Amino acid sequence: MKRRLQVMLGFSLWLILVGTGTARAGERLIIEAALDRQIVDPVLDAFAAENPQIDLDYRDRSTLEVDQRARDRDSPPDVVISSAMPWQLALSNEGMAQPLDAPEVDQWPAWAKWRNEVFGFTFEPVVMAYRLELASHMPPPETHRDLLDLLTHYRYWLDGRVVSYSPRESGVGYTLSQQDARYTPRAWDLIAAMGAANINLETTTQRMLAGLSEGRYWLGYNLLGSYAMLWAQTHPDIIVQVPNDYSLVLMRMAFVHRDAPHPAAARRFVRFLLSRRGQHILAGQTPLFSVRDDVIGPYTAQRLRDQVGDHLYPIPINATLLAFVDPLRRDAFLRRWDREIQILSE
Amino acid sequence: MIPPQTSLKRRLALWLIAIVAGLGTLLLIEAYTSARKAADRAMDGQLEAASLTIAESLQWPEGNPTVEMPASALQILATRWQERVFYWLQADNGRIITQNADLPITDAMQAEARLQPVYLDAVYDGQPIRLSGREVDSAGWDTQEPVQLWVGHTRHGRDLLAQELFRKSATRFAAMVLITAALVAIAMRTMLAPLRRLRQTLRDRSADDISPLRLGVPKEMLELVETLNRLFADQRHHRDALLRFIADASHQLKTPLAGLQSTSELALTSREPAIWRQALETVHDSAGRTSRLAGQMLSLTRLQHLGPGHERQPLALDRLMREVATDWADRQDSRDHDLGLVIDMPTPVWVEGERWALHELLNNLIDNACRYTPPGSEITLTLEGDDERVTLSIEDDGPGVDAESLGRLTQPFERGRRQDTRGSGLGLAIAESIAVRHGGQLSVTNRQPRGLQVSLTLTRCRPPEENRT
Repeated sequence: MKRRLQVMLGFSLWLILVGTGTARAGERLIIEAALDRQIVDPVLDAFAAENPQIDLDYRDRSTLEVDQRARDRDSPPDVVISSAMPWQLALSNEGMAQPLDAPEVDQWPAWAKWRNEVFGFTFEPVVMAYRLELASHMPPPETHRDLLDLLTHYRYWLDGRVVSYSPRESGVGYTLSQQDARYTPRAWDLIAAMGAANINLETTTQRMLAGLSEGRYWLGYNLLGSYAMLWAQTHPDIIVQVPNDYSLVLMRMAFVHRDAPHPAAARRFVRFLLSRRGQHILAGQTPLFSVRDDVIGPYTAQRLRDQVGDHLYPIPINATLLAFVDPLRRDAFLRRWDREIQILSE
Repeated sequence: MIPPQTSLKRRLALWLIAIVAGLGTLLLIEAYTSARKAADRAMDGQLEAASLTIAESLQWPEGNPTVEMPASALQILATRWQERVFYWLQADNGRIITQNADLPITDAMQAEARLQPVYLDAVYDGQPIRLSGREVDSAGWDTQEPVQLWVGHTRHGRDLLAQELFRKSATRFAAMVLITAALVAIAMRTMLAPLRRLRQTLRDRSADDISPLRLGVPKEMLELVETLNRLFADQRHHRDALLRFIADASHQLKTPLAGLQSTSELALTSREPAIWRQALETVHDSAGRTSRLAGQMLSLTRLQHLGPGHERQPLALDRLMREVATDWADRQDSRDHDLGLVIDMPTPVWVEGERWALHELLNNLIDNACRYTPPGSEITLTLEGDDERVTLSIEDDGPGVDAESLGRLTQPFERGRRQDTRGSGLGLAIAESIAVRHGGQLSVTNRQPRGLQVSLTLTRCRPPEENRT
């Protein structure tokens, strides 16, 4: 019964899509995004309400998949959104993005854009998350050093219960590891300690959170704060901790594809993301945190800074990121990562 | 009013525009290329820094080159204009070590980079880019193959920098042009001031003021003022001559008219028909002479006020002389004289002239000779000369003229202090006018031991077509 309803719904939806598609040819908008649809839905809905003639085709994928789709010469998307910042910048450097000329672009802070082509439009802290029961066995971690201490002294409890991003299979995971190692060489000690604790590697924050809720994992490291905070609202047994020593901040980056089949709609969408209204929805109805200073809401970069202090370190949007996607450097990094993760378990 | 052909101001302005346009084009081209060069020089430093940074992180584990791409190198390469950045590293055996773009690097470019670091322009992905290449070599335990290291970036920042530099040069140049134009305008006004002053002075003069101009003018205009003054002097001279002629003419006419009046008055008081007849004869005679005088005055005035002789044509001077001489030989007036003609050169002698005028000249000269010499005098017409010139002269063995009045003989009413003849005193003046019309000069000299010679030298001309032999 339920399945039949779904089929019928799907069929009627298909009819609507086809109907509007034929009635308004060229008004489609293909967005390839590494951003969970359910999180960004309020923004998409607001955009659809403002632009009823545009038929949104939002495709939620992993970061590396998004990168592949953006390089697809035969059917390029209109807008590319991804949290894998080095890959997004590399696409821009390869000439895959087109510059945007709009007042929103001029007002956008210089540290959150590159060549007026790629824009970081969210401000997502990278956090630790743990189960409430962890606190009954050990002092909950507040800093990276705490985490290393826990892994060293409570390995018995944490063995096989720690989860983090896979640097090899996730662009975000790779970026975060690179950035950690860039800030301090002690990051390698942490990786070695996590390796000793038989760390589990996942490809998305959602799966890490699901594992935490199911009790498979006790402690998650380098989760996207946006997803974790939203999750914690409905799962009181999960505690989200923004590290007190330093916290990386990831920005989702969006650009209009050079070969966008629907460039006008694409530009309108990116402008909407950067606009006061778009950012206001971001700050109020999603946990993605608005970048703009002039937006007020529960989720804004400014408010986060006020709460956490000044140890937020956004991953810089500049040409240094391009070094991370250099295959030699990536291979060397992953080789070292593999070496370090096993160094204590042998 | 003569329409002005050119304006000095406009010509100066056109020259200025031409110079500025020509020079300006060259200067702007130069400014553009040097702006680009300066921008390239400034930005090539960034290429070098990035290239050196990457070279520094090259490693040769087991002799094979590899590199951990330094993030800072790419940041340097991107510059503050956020260029697209490119790198391309190749081992000596042709293996690409790493690259982020398939840069258009040719063998020739590699060969050049082998010698020394190079910087050059190229096009990649439809965009102009700037490339720098160098070969990196390092000592090591194993043999370490050299690495070709190329970095590059787009030209956005260079273009902006060059534009800025060029705009500055262009602005400076435009300012210079404006200042020059202003200065030239001022200079032009100052320089043309004497001309304006001269115009004003000339305009303010009364119509009959022909005194010389007294005006301070620059050296270049001195000649113009001198020419004007000479013109004024000529005019003054002409006017004086005219006034003198009119005075003389009225005097000359007044004498015979007064004679007529007295003769007729005397006759009217008499009752004798014989006296009447005698008076009438005198009146008739005198009227004839007066009429001839008036005729000659008319002919002289006409000669002097006629334009330059347009009716000149080649004529045989010897033939004309012969005609006139023959004519005179038959006349009553010359019967007491011995009239001769000597043509001392091959004939015909062609000169360019007005036939009527030369005829008149010969008539006057012969008439004069007959009139001012005693009966029985010898009068000889001579024609002699060479291939270029021919001299026509008339000689007599009469009393001649005293040296003092020799020079004045050609002036109207001048008779060489002779009051005993009935001549008008205009013959030589007319002859002189005709001589001047033909580009010659009448020369009057005394002969030795006695007599007078009047001669005129003319230029010969080619015979007309139909008379060539």
